[in-house]
Amino acid sequence: MSLWSHIFGEIGFRKLNALFSLLGLTLAVTVVVASQLLAEADERETRRVTRDMGFNLRLISAETDLGQFYRDGFSRNEMDSAMLDRLATHLTNNVSFNHLVGSLRREYTINGQDILLIGLSETYVAPGQGKKPMGVVIKKGTIHIGSEVARKQKKGRNDTMHLGERQFTVANDPIETGTPDDITIFTRLEDVQSVLRLEGKINEIEAIDCLCLTADQDPLAILRKEIGNILPEVQVVQMRTLADARAKQRQTREKVNQFVLPWVLVACAVWVALLAVLNVRDRRQEIGILRALGKGGGRIAGLFLGKAALLGLMASVFGAVFGTWAVLEFGPSLFPVTKKAIQANPTLAWQMVVATPVFAAFASFIPAMLAVSHDPAETLRED
Amino acid sequence: MIRCDDVTKIFRKNGSEVTSLDRFTADIGAGEFVAVRGPSGSGKTTLLLTLGGMQRPSAGLVQFSGRDLYGLSPADRAGLRSGEIGFVFQMFHLVPYLDLMGNVLLASPGKPGPAVRKRAGELLDKLGLAERVSHRPGELSAGERQRLAVARALLNRPKLILADEPTGNLDPENAAEVVRHLAEFHKTGGTVVLVTHGTTADTHADRFLHLKQGRLVAD
Repeated sequence: MSLWSHIFGEIGFRKLNALFSLLGLTLAVTVVVASQLLAEADERETRRVTRDMGFNLRLISAETDLGQFYRDGFSRNEMDSAMLDRLATHLTNNVSFNHLVGSLRREYTINGQDILLIGLSETYVAPGQGKKPMGVVIKKGTIHIGSEVARKQKKGRNDTMHLGERQFTVANDPIETGTPDDITIFTRLEDVQSVLRLEGKINEIEAIDCLCLTADQDPLAILRKEIGNILPEVQVVQMRTLADARAKQRQTREKVNQFVLPWVLVACAVWVALLAVLNVRDRRQEIGILRALGKGGGRIAGLFLGKAALLGLMASVFGAVFGTWAVLEFGPSLFPVTKKAIQANPTLAWQMVVATPVFAAFASFIPAMLAVSHDPAETLRED
Repeated sequence: MIRCDDVTKIFRKNGSEVTSLDRFTADIGAGEFVAVRGPSGSGKTTLLLTLGGMQRPSAGLVQFSGRDLYGLSPADRAGLRSGEIGFVFQMFHLVPYLDLMGNVLLASPGKPGPAVRKRAGELLDKLGLAERVSHRPGELSAGERQRLAVARALLNRPKLILADEPTGNLDPENAAEVVRHLAEFHKTGGTVVLVTHGTTADTHADRFLHLKQGRLVAD
C-alpha cells in the first residue's frame, strides 16, 4: 500500500476534516494572492492618480533665486535643452525619478492680456515603464489655452490664435480650473523657443519621484544626490504635498499588508494545526496498528505531512484562482483609473503552488510529531 | 523463541503506581500454542504487548530468538515486528477507509509486489473473504472483521502470532472459526500466544499460563 493511496483513502474517508483544512488553506492563499494583486493595483493606481495630479519635482538652474521662482512661478535663468537629454539618458529603474519633461515658461502679452506661456517637451520615461506622456499630447501647430485666455480672447476649440508671427489652432475645450493654468497657453517646447527666440533653451525640468522609498529615508536628500551627480548645475525643488501623499498612500498599504497578512497566515496555520491534531486523535488506533505492523515514524509522519502537503497543493490552485478571480471581479470598481492593468500574476500563482504545501506541512508538523511520538500500546490496550 | 526473565511493568499515573506485570518469567518455545488466562486487569494484554515489542518493560529482560528485544533500536524492533510477528486484537484495529485487500496489504513492509498481492488474495480466499475484497471493514460482520485481521497477521508468514482476546466480540461459531485459523497456523509450525477469557482455544492450546495481579500463578 503506497503512502499516497493511503493518504487519498483517508482524505476520502474523513472528508470533513480534509474539507475544513482545505478551506483554511484556500482562504490563506486567496488572501495572499488577492492582497498581493490588490497591492500591485493600488500601487499602479497611486502612481497614475498622483502622476495625473502633476509633477512633484522641479529642477531649475542652480543660479535661480528661490524668492523670484516662488513669486513668479518660474525661473528666469535658462538652461540648455541638452541638460534634459543628459538627464534622460540616466533614466533607469535604479534611479528615484521618472517622467522627465523639459519646459520653457515665460510671461507673455497677447492682445493686451498678460498670460503665462509654457512650452513642453516630449516626456522621457524609464525603459520598460510605458511611453504614455504626462497629461495631453500637444500636436504640432496647436495650443491649449486656459479658460481666462479663452474668455478674454474670445477663442474656443478649433479657433486660430497668433503667438508672435506664428499661427496656432486651439486644440482644447477651455475649462476653468481655479489655477494659474486658466491664464496659461501651453504649446510645444520648440514653438515657445521660437516665439521667445530662445532656441535650445529651457528653464525647468519637471519629474516625478518614484514610490520606492521607505518611511525612514529622506527622499529629497536622495533625489538631490542622484540628480546632483548627473546635473550639478541644477537645484531640486520638491512639492512636498504631492510627494507626501504618494508616500503616505504607499506606506499605509504596506502597513496594512504587514499587519493583516501575518495574522491571516497565523490564524490559518493554527486552524490547520488544530484540524491536524483532531485528525491525529481520530487516528490513534490506526497509528497504533501501523506501529504494531512495524511501520516506522517516517511512515506515520509521512501520512500527516503528506496529507497536509497534498491539501496545500490543492489549496494553492483553488486559492490562486479565487484570489485572482476576486481581484479581477472587484478590483476594477476599487481602482477605476487603472482597471485595465489589473491582471493575473502567473509568477505569484507558481510561488503559491510551491509555498502552500510547505506552509501546510509546517503547520501540521507538531501534530505529525505527536502522532509519531504517540505510544501505540496505550491505544491498543484500550479494548 | 521468547524468553522472559523477571519482566515487570509498572504504570505510573497521578502519583500512584500500578504493577501490571510482576516479575513474569517464562520461556515460550517455537511451535507452541500458548493460551494466557486471567481475570480482567491481571496483565494479559500488557504481557502480549511486551512480548510483541510494543511496550518496554519497567524491568526484566525479553528475548526474541536470542535477541534482547528492547535492546534493539526502534527501527530494528519495528522490522522484527513487521517480519516475524503478527498481531490480532479484540477490537480488530482495521483501517476503516481501506478495503479488505488494502488492510491486508498494510502489513507488507514495502510496496507490495505481485507475489504479495497474490498471497493476500489467497489468504482472503482461505478465510472466506474473497467475495468481499473491495468492501470496507465497516461493511463486514464482526466475525468477518476478525478473519480479516487474521489474514493481515498472516501476510508476512510470521513466526509468532500474538492474539489479544480475538474471540471476545464474536459469537461462538465465529469464535471457533477464528481459533481454527490460528490453530492451522500453529500446525504449520507457527507459534501462537493467545490471550483469552473463554474456552474456545482449549482444544488447540498445548500450554496454559494463568496470570493474577500481574503474576504468573500457573503454567
